[in-house]
Amino acid sequence: MTLAIETRDLRKHYRMGEVDVRALDGVSLSVDEGEFVALLGTSGSGKSTLLNLIAGLDHASGGSLKIFDEDLAQMSRAQLSVHRQRNVGIIFQSFNLVSSMTATDNVALSMMFAGVPRTEREARAASLLTAVGLGERKVHRPKELSGGEQQRVAIARALANNPRLLLADEPTGNLDSRTSAEIMAILRDLNQREHKTVIMVTHDPTLASRYAHRTVTLLDGAVVSESGS
Amino acid sequence: MRNLRQSKLRTSLTVLGVSIGIASLAGMVSLGVGLQDQFVGRFMRAGVFDSITVLSGDTRINVPFGGGRAGRGAGGGRQNAPPVADTPRKPLDDAALQELAALENVATAYPIIRVPLELKFGEHTEFAAAAGVPMSSKGEGGFQKIPHGQFFANEMDPACMLSLEKAKQLNAEDPGSMIGKTLNLTYATALPSAGSPAVPMAMQVQRVSIDCAVVGIVERETGPAPGPNTVAPLMLPLAKTREINTAVQQTQRLVRGRGSEGIYSSIAVKVTRPQHTQDVEERIKKLGYSAFSLNDALEGAKRAFLILDIILGLVGSIALAVASLGIMNTMVMSILERTREIGIMKAIGGSDSDVRRIFLIEAAVIGVIGGIAGLILGWIVGRIINFGANQYILSQGGAAGNLFSIPAWLIGSAIAFSILVSLAAGAYPARRAARLDPIQALRHD
Repeated sequence: MTLAIETRDLRKHYRMGEVDVRALDGVSLSVDEGEFVALLGTSGSGKSTLLNLIAGLDHASGGSLKIFDEDLAQMSRAQLSVHRQRNVGIIFQSFNLVSSMTATDNVALSMMFAGVPRTEREARAASLLTAVGLGERKVHRPKELSGGEQQRVAIARALANNPRLLLADEPTGNLDSRTSAEIMAILRDLNQREHKTVIMVTHDPTLASRYAHRTVTLLDGAVVSESGS
Repeated sequence: MRNLRQSKLRTSLTVLGVSIGIASLAGMVSLGVGLQDQFVGRFMRAGVFDSITVLSGDTRINVPFGGGRAGRGAGGGRQNAPPVADTPRKPLDDAALQELAALENVATAYPIIRVPLELKFGEHTEFAAAAGVPMSSKGEGGFQKIPHGQFFANEMDPACMLSLEKAKQLNAEDPGSMIGKTLNLTYATALPSAGSPAVPMAMQVQRVSIDCAVVGIVERETGPAPGPNTVAPLMLPLAKTREINTAVQQTQRLVRGRGSEGIYSSIAVKVTRPQHTQDVEERIKKLGYSAFSLNDALEGAKRAFLILDIILGLVGSIALAVASLGIMNTMVMSILERTREIGIMKAIGGSDSDVRRIFLIEAAVIGVIGGIAGLILGWIVGRIINFGANQYILSQGGAAGNLFSIPAWLIGSAIAFSILVSLAAGAYPARRAARLDPIQALRHD
């Protein structure tokens, strides 16, 4: 079993004015490839910080972080963006689609950064959108799409460069219960059929236990419990 | 590109700023080029670059634009240098004429003669100075185009040519009808009276009248001072003029006690090809004469135009500098608005240099569109000003011309410059965008 993520005593702190905030206070965690792990906690628990570090969007202040055996702490900004391109797909609570671009262009955008030629990326974007059920909505702009549809576009985008790791930061936070279920079904499907490792940040314990193999609970920057389901 | 289309108003205003900047820069430069073409062009057409004016040895010469290198003897003195008495003053007489004509690469040498006459046509009487025009000037310089009539048939004909202005003076409605009309020309000479010829006082003034038929009317090109190939109000064949001149010079005996027959105030030397002008001029000076040609003025003029071009360029650049500030402002605002978008791009795998490249390309596109629009704008404005200016020139009796000329190199360099300026203006904003922290950017609204 490959180790997708391995952290040892991972720390992140920053200054807020006069105060030194300890967002992560020594987190040691291992995630196998193909696992679906939920990071559970209230706001300020450090769960989003941990996700950002895994995504390579931020640098740790201390400790080690290895993704598929590559040490992120040693990477330069440029290398981190390559890491984001190749290994990671992210979806957010507020979808974060580019509002001036169509669904297809949004999905194709991440491929553009990876250097995929235009015809190829447009074709792949089209097939990804069809796969998430949006074959009819390819040329729509985000404001013409419902919340659930936007999140699906985001998922298609996250899958564009075929990453092994999928990160989801409160993916259903802005969706109603029915749409949430649809989205979560897609995530589960990606995990079970395509063996993508999924890390999901949530504050909802029910969501965590229903979909994740393992739930890691964080409080004040540290792991307080882990439970499998 | 798409991002620019998104905020059309802002982009359009920025592009407008750039195009006005380029238009003013291109306009200024094209004005400089146009004026230079006009100026030099008229000189060229007047055919003065292949002629040298020779003066007697100690004359001071003021060449326009201060190119004056005329001076006596080899090496020439500066304009205000005291006359050097190393070579004897050489008079300009027929011997001199032959000496000059014998020089290598000289096509012809002839004296420049102006004779004072009284001109009578019908009721109209005035004093005029007739210029002697050699037959060799036929079909050259100002005589290339003769709107009415033709050049002298041969050099001793009692024929004359008029300038268009003169013809209009004599017959305002239909100057062309002056062809074939007869003008009565009267000049003064002195003949010895009966009695002792040795005593100068024993001469008396005689009036001599001749009739001349107008054979041609020529348009006057605005150009340099009277010299060879330029059009004077009243022109007679050179040989005829010499004859009259010799007669008129007799009167000087009465006035000065001695004559200056056979002495000319200036001689025109025509070289075979304009390339030789400089060379021949040097040799004439070595022979002990003063000489100048408009090449001296041309060098000076070229220098003056260069300075003019630089100044015009600077003025035009000011507008462009302002426009580049506009680009920088647009881009900074654009980044502010798109902070979240930049964060998204980085989150999905865009590197810092990817982001920087995107913004630089946007800046370059503004530069290209602005440059093209600016050239078109500048061209239109130039045409309008040209039209207006020419209306004025024509009303003053001058010849119309193109004041603004846009050569190909100006088009290419204007666009290149526009792109350069835009990239420079966009460099700082692009770098800022590249350095944004993705997490902070994503939190932005």
